[in-house]
Amino acid sequence: MTGVVVTRRNRHSRTWWKTAIGLLLTAIMLFPVYWMLNVSFTRDQDMRKSPPGLFPTDATLEGYRAVVDQQLPYLGTSLVIGLGTVVLTVALAAPAGYALAKLRPRGGGLLSFVLLAAQMIPGIIMAMGFYAIYLSLGLLQSVPGLIVADSTLAVPFAVLIFTAFMSGIPGELLQAAKTDGAGAVRTFWSIVMPMSRNAVVTVSLFAFLWSWSDFIFASTLASGGAHQPITLGIYQYIGNNNQEWNAIMATAVVASLPAAVILVLAQRYVAAGVTAGAVKD
Amino acid sequence: MKDTTQLPDLPPVRDRNGAATAAAPPPARTMARRRPSSQQWAAWGFLAPVTLYLALFYAYPLYRNIDLSLRNYTVRSFVQGDAPFTGLRNYLTVFDDPTFAPALLHTVVFTVVSLVFQYAIGLALAVFFSQHFRLSATLRALFLVPWLLPLIVSASTWSWMLNSDSGIVNAALHAVGIGPVNWLTSPDWSLTSVILANIWIGVPFNLVVLYSGLQSIPASLYEAAALDGANAWQRFWRITFPLLRPVSAITLLLGLVYTLKVFDIIWIMTKGGPADSSTTFATWSYQLGFGNLLPAFGPGAAVGNLLVVAALVFGLVYMRVQRKQGLS
Amino acid sequence: MNRSAGRRLTAAALTVVAVTAGATACSSGAGGGSSKAADSGTYTIWDPYPQFDKGSAWAKLLDDCGTKAGVKVKRTAFDTSDLTNKALLAAQQDNSADVLIVDNPVVSTLAEAGVLTTTEDNKLDTSAVDPNLLAAGQSGGKTYGTPIGANTLALYYNKAVLKKAGVDISSVKDWTTLTAALEKVDKSGDKGITFSAIGTEEGSFQFLPWLWGSGAQLTELDSTEAVSALSLWNDWLKKGYAPNSVINNTQTTSWQEFASGDYAFAENGTWQLANAEKAGFDYGVIPVPGAKGGNAAAPTGGEFVTIPVQGETDRYATSQKLVSCLTSGQNLLDTDTTLSYVAPTGEVQDKQVAADAKLKPWVDAVKAAKGRTSDDLGTKYPKISEQMWKAVQSALSGSKSPKDALTAAQSAVK
Repeated sequence: MTGVVVTRRNRHSRTWWKTAIGLLLTAIMLFPVYWMLNVSFTRDQDMRKSPPGLFPTDATLEGYRAVVDQQLPYLGTSLVIGLGTVVLTVALAAPAGYALAKLRPRGGGLLSFVLLAAQMIPGIIMAMGFYAIYLSLGLLQSVPGLIVADSTLAVPFAVLIFTAFMSGIPGELLQAAKTDGAGAVRTFWSIVMPMSRNAVVTVSLFAFLWSWSDFIFASTLASGGAHQPITLGIYQYIGNNNQEWNAIMATAVVASLPAAVILVLAQRYVAAGVTAGAVKD
Repeated sequence: MKDTTQLPDLPPVRDRNGAATAAAPPPARTMARRRPSSQQWAAWGFLAPVTLYLALFYAYPLYRNIDLSLRNYTVRSFVQGDAPFTGLRNYLTVFDDPTFAPALLHTVVFTVVSLVFQYAIGLALAVFFSQHFRLSATLRALFLVPWLLPLIVSASTWSWMLNSDSGIVNAALHAVGIGPVNWLTSPDWSLTSVILANIWIGVPFNLVVLYSGLQSIPASLYEAAALDGANAWQRFWRITFPLLRPVSAITLLLGLVYTLKVFDIIWIMTKGGPADSSTTFATWSYQLGFGNLLPAFGPGAAVGNLLVVAALVFGLVYMRVQRKQGLS
Repeated sequence: MNRSAGRRLTAAALTVVAVTAGATACSSGAGGGSSKAADSGTYTIWDPYPQFDKGSAWAKLLDDCGTKAGVKVKRTAFDTSDLTNKALLAAQQDNSADVLIVDNPVVSTLAEAGVLTTTEDNKLDTSAVDPNLLAAGQSGGKTYGTPIGANTLALYYNKAVLKKAGVDISSVKDWTTLTAALEKVDKSGDKGITFSAIGTEEGSFQFLPWLWGSGAQLTELDSTEAVSALSLWNDWLKKGYAPNSVINNTQTTSWQEFASGDYAFAENGTWQLANAEKAGFDYGVIPVPGAKGGNAAAPTGGEFVTIPVQGETDRYATSQKLVSCLTSGQNLLDTDTTLSYVAPTGEVQDKQVAADAKLKPWVDAVKAAKGRTSDDLGTKYPKISEQMWKAVQSALSGSKSPKDALTAAQSAVK
């Protein structure tokens, strides 16, 4: 990127040096995550040791035992909700992004502004509104209901991303499709969407992460239901008078592992997703 | 290639949502001009789901929030539903409250400082990681791990690390000879502590978005500049930064919206205290409406609406700037 | 070509709208309008004990009581600080639970909001309950629920730490002797006392024994006695007898500090008894001393079982059966043993002490305890409590002197 021609030997040594810095920076950034791991192995009586131990010398697996015994269904539910949110968000936002970027509807600017304003509504107010709506629709304590609610976290943002990215798709391609007789839907499905793969992955990532860590909607709309996400499952360790911190942190660790794996695998696609890349020569 | 006839209310070549390219070609409009109405139908057909979605799920909560702020809601009238209309009295109560000025100050400081550092660090990291060295892709992905954690866990972890007596940060300071700092319990440091945690949480977002923006800048520009004798810093400042402007703008705007809403982190770490020293509008709104035993929904909603208005103002500023840039 | 494409698209769009509307309409068929969920044979119970999951003794007890009353029980556990809001929201939408178990200072707020039924409406029998415990659920001469158990605060102490410092626990009788003991402990290298002064109801709860022990009242936060109580805490912090972290400590965090074995005293509650046994060192309990001797009045904690207002009033009869089952003699004994609470009736208290003599000081403490919303403070209490914890936070963090902090608090309450 900051491309300067170097000899082969120089490039290798420079690469290792950069990798070292990269590792250091990542370690600093992830130190709190390490601390979380540390706490998850700590016994109750060592929790407030002063000074604190960098390493859990008297480790306990109590927290993890509790998680494995109790939390796995919650993790499954969270996964289902996360994937559902992704599908719904992409399904809603991609067409909208396409329309705003390429089809230039009247009032499109107003819609974008409304989307921006929509993101400002405080979460708890949204949750209260949803509660009232879902109560009359009978969708309380249901997984589809929670999926729709969690999608409100991501849809406005997703529309912005899709619009931005799809603006960069060259008009000539769409023109060619039109001349060949493709309608708007066909063009969208066969040309625009495949080209927007990176945007789809970026949006999916954000939607999944936001829905995974959502608490306010889960608490208001799914409490007591048969299927609850992991953010509610954690509250099992937050009793009315006592909190079991090693179990709470253990839950967070276990909950992050599969998502972290997905992240590392998917990051390749996130690269060029956000902006409309095409700069014409 | 100006659009002259069909939609006179739209200025030409306007990027609708800003985060677009440095140079996106305006889409060909010849076909559209011949049949504008069917294109409009098609466009609104694609937009219908989202519009319906917005109307169903955002309009009602927004209406409720405004309604809450314009009436005098006691606990009783919240449940029974017969609150008297009091106009702007809740807003006046909020303005008169002694917490208003500190909360305003803290909100501004919190937002500005968080944004500046999140953006700067995110940009620096994005530039760093865009030099493809070994493991750069994996490390970049690992930077997103903080997002996987529920906020209660991240905020609690930071609380633990910053604890005055048993926190690792003070232990580390002690090891280098600096006395303990009361990060969360002193009015002087509480705002700094929550800003630190917020920056930590915000860096991944900035990293991802800015990194993507960097990908769209062609290497040929850098090569040409290098051949002309520009060093790394000049290349960054003269090429990268200006070309990144649209992406930076959308990152900062979204960052502003999200930072104004930040509540969980502050609430879990300091509850807005001690003595309101880390209270922002978001935490104040929650505290008024839900954080005490006797909810005052009206003032709480009023503060929340003030936040919405602030964000809208910035949104308008942003769109105006975008329009100007599009025209220039 | 474009025209037909446009028409096809319009048709597609309209179909999308229709399908969405249809789907929501279909699902609404099942749930119906507001009020009760489908099955009238299902009764909902909301409690603040998320730590008890489906297989726990508490959940089984609820199911058993349901079976005895001839109905199915659906239980939802909430975080206790969240439960009030959820209850208010549900009541607003006519979706209240049939039985609601809430923390006692909240009962007057819910009663004021018209969410709860009185004993006249639901025919609940509260005659056996100790009056000082029932007071928290009474307002305007009416009773709105019955306590499931009570807890209160006392001072736990670490015998080994005190021995090392050369402190005899029987010498700790009032504030002066307590501070002297803390000084000795500090000199011997250990830490003095830990408590919770966090800016929430927990902080107020922990400050109350000292406030009442000084002779002050909640209605007059700026009296000299109240200032002396806050100054006591402030001086401890300044001298290092209490750690700075108390400003942010919850009661759990404070207990964890005590459990590390470095502290001589911890102000904490009945519910920690089980943890105290596990602590790994010899501990004892004394009541919180008053300023000039004697025992300070401590606040009552513990939840109330209430019956919210329903659209269909014939549900009260079964709800009342459920509540009576939950608070009946044997069940009370089991529940309060699990929760580590003291029972609210004299008869069960005796049984508790008979089973475990360590509970005697706690039973005595609870008998001497005061409800926070009693003295007819009712819904005035939340406002006073908020100002009180704000004053404590201001003083302890150094931004105001105790006198100024409490004066500001009192004027804010007016």
